[in-house]
Amino acid sequence: MAWDYRNSKDFKDYYEERRLQRRIGFIFVLLSAVFLAYLFNLWFLQVVNGDNYRRLADNNRLRQIVENPLRGLILDREGRPIVQNRIAFNVLLDREKLVRREETVRSLSKILNLPEQTVRERIERYRNRPIFEPVIVKEDVDMGEAAYLESRRLELPEVSVAIEPKRSYQNRDLAAHALGYVGEISETQLGKQRYAGYQLGDVIGKAGLESFYDTDLAGEKGWKQVIVNSLGREIRALPAGKRPLAGNALRLSLDLDLQQELESAFEDKMGSAVFLDPDTGEILAIISKPSFDPNVFARRFSAEEWKELINSETHPLQNRAIQSKFAPGSVFKIVMSIAALESGKATPARTDFCPGYTVIYGRRFLCHQEGGHGTLAMVEAIKKSCNVYFYHLGRDIGIETISEWAHKLGFGQATGIDLAHEEAGTVPDEAWKRRTHNEPWYPGETISVSIGQGALEVTPIQMAVFASVIGNGGTFYRPHLLLSREVRGGVEEAVKPPEVLGNVKLKPSTLQVVKQAMWEVVNEGGTGTKAAIPGKDVCGKTGTAQVVKASAGVKSEKLAESIRDNAWFVGFAPKDHPQIAFAVFVERGGHGGEAAAPIAQRVMLKFFEKKDKPPEGTQVARATQHP
Amino acid sequence: MLERRSIHNLDWVLAFAVLSLCAAGMGMVYSATLGGPLTPLATKQIVYFAIGLAAMILALAVDYHTLASLSYVFYAASLLLLVYLLIFGRAIANTRGWLELGPVNFQPAEMTKITTLLALSSYLSRNRSSGLTPSNMLAIIVIVGIPFLLIARQPDLGTAITFLPLIAVAAFLGGMRVRTIFVLVMIPILALPFFWNHYLKDYQKTRVLTFLDPSRDPKGAGYQVLQSRIAVGSGGLTGKGFLEGTQGQLKFLPAQHTDFIFALMAEERGFLGSMVVLVLYFVVIYRCIAIARAARDLLGVYLAMGAMALFACQVLINIGVVLGLMPTTGVPLPLMSYGGSSLITTLAGMGLVLNVWMRRLVN
Repeated sequence: MAWDYRNSKDFKDYYEERRLQRRIGFIFVLLSAVFLAYLFNLWFLQVVNGDNYRRLADNNRLRQIVENPLRGLILDREGRPIVQNRIAFNVLLDREKLVRREETVRSLSKILNLPEQTVRERIERYRNRPIFEPVIVKEDVDMGEAAYLESRRLELPEVSVAIEPKRSYQNRDLAAHALGYVGEISETQLGKQRYAGYQLGDVIGKAGLESFYDTDLAGEKGWKQVIVNSLGREIRALPAGKRPLAGNALRLSLDLDLQQELESAFEDKMGSAVFLDPDTGEILAIISKPSFDPNVFARRFSAEEWKELINSETHPLQNRAIQSKFAPGSVFKIVMSIAALESGKATPARTDFCPGYTVIYGRRFLCHQEGGHGTLAMVEAIKKSCNVYFYHLGRDIGIETISEWAHKLGFGQATGIDLAHEEAGTVPDEAWKRRTHNEPWYPGETISVSIGQGALEVTPIQMAVFASVIGNGGTFYRPHLLLSREVRGGVEEAVKPPEVLGNVKLKPSTLQVVKQAMWEVVNEGGTGTKAAIPGKDVCGKTGTAQVVKASAGVKSEKLAESIRDNAWFVGFAPKDHPQIAFAVFVERGGHGGEAAAPIAQRVMLKFFEKKDKPPEGTQVARATQHP
Repeated sequence: MLERRSIHNLDWVLAFAVLSLCAAGMGMVYSATLGGPLTPLATKQIVYFAIGLAAMILALAVDYHTLASLSYVFYAASLLLLVYLLIFGRAIANTRGWLELGPVNFQPAEMTKITTLLALSSYLSRNRSSGLTPSNMLAIIVIVGIPFLLIARQPDLGTAITFLPLIAVAAFLGGMRVRTIFVLVMIPILALPFFWNHYLKDYQKTRVLTFLDPSRDPKGAGYQVLQSRIAVGSGGLTGKGFLEGTQGQLKFLPAQHTDFIFALMAEERGFLGSMVVLVLYFVVIYRCIAIARAARDLLGVYLAMGAMALFACQVLINIGVVLGLMPTTGVPLPLMSYGGSSLITTLAGMGLVLNVWMRRLVN
C-alpha cells in the first residue's frame, strides 16, 4: 500500500504520522474482525441451523387443512332416503375486516333477528382464537336471510355466508330412536380407543344406527396443504393431499311405507312396536313413542331444547323398543303353555274350571272375567286369556320349568339387535331371587309370573323375536336393521344373509296348539279380534299388564283399572309360513285387544297390500307394451 | 476541474463494489415488492440510483479542497433545514424527518451526514495539533452533536446514532490518548443502569428487552427479529431462489424492502449470496481505508475515514439487527435498502472518497 505521508508537508513529525498510520490500521483490523464474526454468524444461521429454520419457515406458511367427508346416507329397504345431508348456511363474521364493531353488531342483530347482546357474546367467544378465524354469528339461516346478506356484501364486507353440510332427518321424528342422531364429539369420547383420529369439533353418531354404524357412515377425512401468507390468508393449495372419502350409504331393512303407517297408527300414544320378517330377522318397522326430532341435535344448539328432551318425564330419548322393560302380561300365557307342554307336565287336553277367582296358598287371585270362564281346555284358556287356568298351571309346573322355557324362548337375554344399550329384561326364578334380593322364592310369586306379572320384565324387541320364533317354528334370527351397505364407489354389497343365533326345539304338536290358540284369539272371538284381516289368518295374543309393579302378591283389583294398564299385542301372520311377526306395546293404553291390536292390524294391512300388489315397475312396463 | 489524468486514477475496485451492491439492492427491492401494491418501487429505486450516480460524479469531480472550503456553508444550510423540520415539519410515521417537496419526499438527515463530514474534516485539517487538544475535542462534539440532537428530536434516534462514529473516528485519529479512550469506554458501561432508568422511553426499553429475548413477545416486538432470523436461516447454503423466498414473498418478513432487505436477500440467495454481499461491503470499507492511507493530506484522511465510518456503522448495525445481534433500530442498509435519501447520500459519500483517491498525488 502506498504510504506517502513521509513526503507530505502536512505532517509535523514522524511520531504523529506513525500514530495515524497505526490507528487507521487498528480500525481496519477491528472492522475485519467484526465482519468475520458476522460471516461466522451467517454460516451458523444458514448452514449449520438451516434445516431448523427451514422447518420454522414451513410452519409459518404451510397449513394442513382437514377436509371433512360427507356422512353416508341412510336408505330404506327400497332405496328411499331416510337420512340425508343438506346444505346449511352459516353467517360468518371476519374480525380482521371489522372496523365499526357496534354498527355491525346493530345491523346484524336486525337482519338476523337476534338480540344485540347475543351477537356481541358470539363475537366475544372467539376472543382467544386467531384473528383470521371467522366467527359463526348464526347457524343454519334460511335461504332468504343468506341471499339478503349476500346482496349486501358491499355495505357489510366483514359478513359472509358459508355453506356447511348438515345431517338432515327429512321425516323428522320418524324412527328417530332407531336412526339416532349426530353431534359434536365429547371430550370423554375423544379419549376412547374407538374414536382415535377424531378431534374436537368433529361430528359423530351419538345414538341409534348413527352411532352403531358410525365407522361406516363417517367416511374418511381428507386433508390438503395450503400456503398462507402472514395474515393467514390462503394463497393456494398444494398438490399434496387426500380427498375426503364420503361415508358408506346404509340400506336398512325398514320399509318406509310400513314405518309411516306405524307412525300414523300410533298417533301420540306412548309405547313401542317392532315388526319383523320371521324368516330373516329383518326389522320392517320400529317405533318408540314419544319421539324427538334428531335435526335438533345436528345444530350447535340452544341448551333449552336439550334440557327439555333430557328432563321430560316421558323420557323421549329412551328407545323403548330395546330399553324399556315391562311386564308381558297375558302374552306370557303362550310361554306358560309351551313350558307345560314341552316339559310334559300337561297336555292340551288339560281342563280346569274358572269360577272367576281362585284361592292358592291362602290367598285370593282374581280372573279378569267376573263370574268366571267356566270349564276350559288349554286352547280356549289362551283364547279367552283365563287367569285362573294359568294360575293353576303355574302352580303345577313350578317356577323352575317356567324360567327354563322363558329363557329358551329368548327372554332374560338381549336379542342382539344392531343397536347399542339393549336391555336383557328379567326372568325370575329361585336363583335369581337369592342373587338379587338374597331371599327365598315365595310360591305366591310363581302365581304372579304365571300370568306375566311379578318380577317378569321383557322388552318389545324380545316380544317381537318371540313371536317370530313361534311363527317360524323355533329359529332365532338376529333382529337387525342393516340390510346392506354401499361399498366404495356406489357398489352395494350383497344383502346380509340372516344370522341364526340359535334354535329352540318345539314339538310340532306344541306349535300346533299354540298357533291354533293364537289364531282363535284373533279370528274366533278371542281377545284380539281387532287385528283380524280376512284371508290372512292373523295369529296373536293380547296382554294387559299392570303398571304398578306387584311386590309379593298380585293386587288383582288393580287389573280392573284398565286405563292404567299397559297394552300388548304380539303375534304373526299368516298362520302357516308367516311373513310378518310383531309386538305392539301401548304404555298405559288399557286393554291389549283395544289399544294395541288395531295398530298391528293397520301395519299388516299395509304390508299385505304391498305384498299382493304387483310391483309398480311391472305395471308401467305392461302399460307401455300395450298402448 | 476534472482532469483527464484523474479519470485514469479512478478506484475501479471501489466503484465496482459500490455499483454491484446497488444492482443487488435494486433486484431485492423488486423481489420484496413483487405482487404487492409497492411494485413500482423498484422502478423508483432505479431513478434514485441515477440521481445518486449524478451526486457521486459531482462529489468526485470537484476537488475536495474546494468542497471543504465551502463546507461551513453546506453545514449551516443543512442545520437550518433540520431546524425548519422541527418547527414546521409534518409528522410521517411519528417522526418529523421528511421534507416534502411536491411529489418527492426527502430526508435532510441523510444529506446532513455529508455536510457534517465535510465540516468536521475541514475543521480538523485546519486546526492541527500534536495530540487531541480540548478545544478540538469540543469542536468535534459540537459539530457532530448539533445535527445529532436535532435529528434525535425528530425523533429518529436510529439515524442520529449513525452520526456518532464520526466523533469516535475523529477523536481517535485526532490523537486521543489511549488512557482517555479507556475511561470514555468505561463511563457509559457504568452509567448504563442510570440511563436505562431515567432516559430510555418505554418502547426503547421494550426493543432492548425483546432483543435480549425475542420469545418474550413473538407476536409483537420480538416478531420482527424472529421472522428475520427464520428468513435468513431458512435460506440455507444456496437459498430458495430469486423471488422464491417464502418468508419474504408471503410477507412474514417485516419492512423487507427497507430495513430487512438483507434478510430477504439471505433467504433467496442463501449463505453463498450473503457471503458475496458481505464481502462486497468489506471491499468498500477496505478500499476506503486504503484510500485514507493514500490520501495526500489530512483532509483526505478525515474525509475517507469519516465516510467509511458512516458507511460501516450503518452496514454493521443493519445486518446486526437482521441477524438478531442488536435491537431493532430502523437503520437502512446502505446502497441496498429502498429509499432515495440514503442511496443518494451514500453514493455522494463514496464520491468524496473516490475524489480523495483521484487527487492523492501531489500536483
